[in-house]
Amino acid sequence: MTLRLENISIRIGGVPLIAAFSLSVQDGEIITLMGPSGSGKSSLLAYIAGDLTPPLNGIGGVVLNGADLETVRPEQRRIGRLFQDDLLFPHMTVGQNLLFGMARGDRSERIAMMRAALAQAGLEGFEDRQPHTLSGGQRARVALMRALMAKPDCMLLDEPFNKLDKALRANLRAYVFNHLKIRNIACLMVTHDIEDAPEGGRILHIGHEGELKIV
Amino acid sequence: MRTKLTALVGFLPLGAFWLFPLLMGLLAAFYAAGDGAAWSALFAHPQFWSALRLSLVTGTVSLVVSTVLALWIVAGVHGTSRWPRLAGHMGGFLSLPHLAFAIGLGFLIMPSGLMARVPGSLAGWTAPPQWITTQDPYGISLVAVLILKEVPFVIWLISSLLARKDMALMLRGHWLVSQSLGHGSASTWLRVFIPQILPRLKWPLIIVWVYGASVVDVALAIGPTQPPPLAVIIWADLNNADQAINARGSVGALFLTVVLAGLGLAFHAAWRLASPKIARFVVRGPSPGSIARKSALALLTFMCAIYVLVLLVLGIMSIAAQWPYPDLLPTQLRWAAWEQALASPAPLINSLSFALACVIAALAFAVMWFESVDERLDPVLLALAVAALALPSLLIADGQYLVFLQLGLNGTWFGVFLAHLTPVFAYVFIVLKGPYRAFDARYRSVSLGLNTSALRFWLAIKMPLLKPALAAAAAIGVGVGMAQYVPIQLIAAGRISTLSIEAVTLASGGNRQLLAVFSLMLAVIPLAAFACAARLGRQTP
Repeated sequence: MTLRLENISIRIGGVPLIAAFSLSVQDGEIITLMGPSGSGKSSLLAYIAGDLTPPLNGIGGVVLNGADLETVRPEQRRIGRLFQDDLLFPHMTVGQNLLFGMARGDRSERIAMMRAALAQAGLEGFEDRQPHTLSGGQRARVALMRALMAKPDCMLLDEPFNKLDKALRANLRAYVFNHLKIRNIACLMVTHDIEDAPEGGRILHIGHEGELKIV
Repeated sequence: MRTKLTALVGFLPLGAFWLFPLLMGLLAAFYAAGDGAAWSALFAHPQFWSALRLSLVTGTVSLVVSTVLALWIVAGVHGTSRWPRLAGHMGGFLSLPHLAFAIGLGFLIMPSGLMARVPGSLAGWTAPPQWITTQDPYGISLVAVLILKEVPFVIWLISSLLARKDMALMLRGHWLVSQSLGHGSASTWLRVFIPQILPRLKWPLIIVWVYGASVVDVALAIGPTQPPPLAVIIWADLNNADQAINARGSVGALFLTVVLAGLGLAFHAAWRLASPKIARFVVRGPSPGSIARKSALALLTFMCAIYVLVLLVLGIMSIAAQWPYPDLLPTQLRWAAWEQALASPAPLINSLSFALACVIAALAFAVMWFESVDERLDPVLLALAVAALALPSLLIADGQYLVFLQLGLNGTWFGVFLAHLTPVFAYVFIVLKGPYRAFDARYRSVSLGLNTSALRFWLAIKMPLLKPALAAAAAIGVGVGMAQYVPIQLIAAGRISTLSIEAVTLASGGNRQLLAVFSLMLAVIPLAAFACAARLGRQTP
């Protein structure tokens, strides 16, 4: 499963932010996209996910597993996302947050899968807890599991470790990358901290003029 | 010590003019419950049970339908370019008093009304149709008025909630997550937004429900008569010359309150019992359906059209001297009703002066409270303000009547002012609380650091920044003040008249032109207040 970006340009108002950006992300590959704030890296993720909002607009191809996503609605693109905030739904328990994104099916099977996912996250027995009673690291792990349980074809990470403290950060990074590798999911990550990039992975820099340098 | 002294500024006038009448009124209303003969007279009333059922059905149906329609419209319009305009205009819709709207809608749907003239003129009918529209025995027209009036209120509630920065940010994030997990817009609204919005609107929705179940003026104008809603029976009892019948009215008001409280608790329990089922629905898994935006827009357009037609019909009726059926427009116009109304302008002047005096007092009390009382005490006052609105106005007004009787305030301008202030301050405080307390305290530090005096900071920095919020609160206060009927009629004891009193009196079969004039005045003043507030709000950068 690969994610291919073809000649993507993003403008804000009429001003170009990103020009003719092309990239291919292979299965299980995690590509790190770096750049100062305002360089358009988060807007690029929004464009790929299909919810770039005015005054931003973009053109260019997003191809996932050979299928062009241009006319596919955001909720049907099968693109998982993680953000700076865990964004767990506060009106649901931890278990319900996971079930929310899981495909419909037999209730007891879904619950068994949810429990297994929590166990994988080291959160066995947490299903009836309210999200706000968890620590920041625990919530981040639940958010990742929630995204993965929806079985996405690729993942977009938008500074997912930004709000965690240093010790937790290294820990969670390893955890996230590990799970993405196990599931062989193509992943594009935006960050402004070089330490976030996985070892040996490709790192791209977006400059102020939307120029691209590949390191 | 100093802080305690300044806190008195926040407490004292508020306590004397708002809290005291409210609490004493409630006390008196409960004290009236000791009359055993009144209770047996109440239950012996031949229409008691059917009237109670009608009241509860009216309140519940209007609450449920208006909430569903409002959510439908919001879900369809939120996130589009129309949303900011819709949210901004809702204030105007909701400021229109229920009574004026009910009378206008009555003119629209009555057998000889504009609605029946359109098919009539097309088909060449010679006489109005024989249908019963206003005061129909099932209370359909009453429920229709309540729904059409509450939909803008609920939309306004939701838009105020969504406009809060923390909510907007959180829901934007939830939207993106829900979408990335495969949920379409309809599923996101049903499973993520509505379950988070509705619990936050619990008390305002209770206010809508109680209002619908206990409203008097609208029911008198357009509600059924055989039986009428229980509130109308209670109202007739309270206005009777016989003290024993007054007592029956007092216990009736208390009984209606207790029944509503009991039903509210029963709803709450039922909700808790149903919550596992609801949770199961919420987590069933993604569904890709989108919101039917077109139907929401059609609904919104229909609602706006009704409001425009209601105002239009009131305008035409006020000058229609001769309007033979089925002509679409009157054949003869005359300003006689306007001349008559302006020749004895006491109702207009009274309505205006009560509304303005109450708004000025309410704004002053609220600002004094915010400036001198610790924020931690806000929840206490908020609970009292919510109680003042969530309890039937019949109950509070009856209690205040009994208290004012002892104090000799009935029939005086001051007594009516106090009775008005009860709901007006409650609304002003609730509306102002959020923006006033959210004011960034660092502005003060910065400005005092620049050698500005505390007073200058307040006048030159804080007031201009809070001007949109103050203007909006004032406009709502004017709307609420103008709309009062029950408290004035009771406390004024026939000695002071207002637009709403004249309108209710004429609605039971008087001069239709004059009725339209009073209703239009009742409608236009709050609308003007809202237009002013919107202008003031815009001027501030």
